[in-house]
Amino acid sequence: MPLHLETCSDGTYINAVRAFNDSLFTFPFRMTLVRRAWLVALIVLSARIAVAQVLASGSHTVTVQVPQVTALQIMTRTLTMTVSAINTQAGQDEMTVTDRTTQLVWGINSSGKKITASTSVATPLFKLKLVALNPTRGTPAPEMTVNTTPSDLLLNVGRSTGSCILSYTGIALASQGAGTDAHVITFTVLNQ
Amino acid sequence: MARTRGLVFALLLLSAVPTGALAQSITVQGGNPIIRLTGGSPIVEPMVLSSTTCMLRWKRLKDTAKITVSTVCPGQRFTLKVFAIAIGDGVAAPEVTLTDGMLAVDFITDIVRDKNRDYNCTLRYTASATYAQGNSGELGGDDVHTVRYTLLEQ
Repeated sequence: MPLHLETCSDGTYINAVRAFNDSLFTFPFRMTLVRRAWLVALIVLSARIAVAQVLASGSHTVTVQVPQVTALQIMTRTLTMTVSAINTQAGQDEMTVTDRTTQLVWGINSSGKKITASTSVATPLFKLKLVALNPTRGTPAPEMTVNTTPSDLLLNVGRSTGSCILSYTGIALASQGAGTDAHVITFTVLNQ
Repeated sequence: MARTRGLVFALLLLSAVPTGALAQSITVQGGNPIIRLTGGSPIVEPMVLSSTTCMLRWKRLKDTAKITVSTVCPGQRFTLKVFAIAIGDGVAAPEVTLTDGMLAVDFITDIVRDKNRDYNCTLRYTASATYAQGNSGELGGDDVHTVRYTLLEQ
């Protein structure tokens, strides 16, 4: 049943008018100060019932800070490669031995990075070559002869975690005789 | 006289509406923590670090109440979660993942009335980030959350 309000001409009365079955019921409703106060109280009470009351609130700030992080891990720490009779062929001066048992794992959270490799041995007796195989992320650089200057091993490894196989190849000439090179290989993350 | 009585009664009714609200309280103690993810093993991802330096303290004087949590963090990039441990009163909800602009969700429920003491819990914040998500420097800054705890009727 529709209900509407009408204000009388001098503003002192508000009529609540209801129509029902085409007959019209009207009743005067004088909005005095007392009744206005009641009306406000009732409205506020009903709002309180409709919504769970918030009793108190407090806050603080929490900051999450993530600096540049670079993590490298080599899964085989010590590697021994021996050129033996297995690696030799009569009449051939060059002898080689290859090892692919070492894995390099990295985590880098900044962009535009590469991984390089270098050795501690400035004047090795024999040649040592290195190349990254099957990287899960990034682009392998061409096979390098390891020296004391960092050389590219893997490119485009920024903002990633990944791994690759390190393929070492030791090369000795029969004419060079016997000897031992003890390399400490260092892997470094640098800007690309 | 009747008019005066009516006014007084209406005013009493209005004053009764926020009953006890000013006496209830909830505060966060321990300052504003900074969680700095400094690294981890590249084999285990994501990088994770927790902070338990802050406490939440509240007083409840009326019927059963609960505490909700929400956050605002414009441009959020990393993950932050919060969980209530060592609760003095109430039941901890499951760990909440704080997401920028989220609606308030339950943090502690079934808090009963006790006008004689304050209760508290430890806030365990856990931040995490993957390497692929990058770092604050490249992304324009840290994630700064304004975390709000609200005590309300259950």
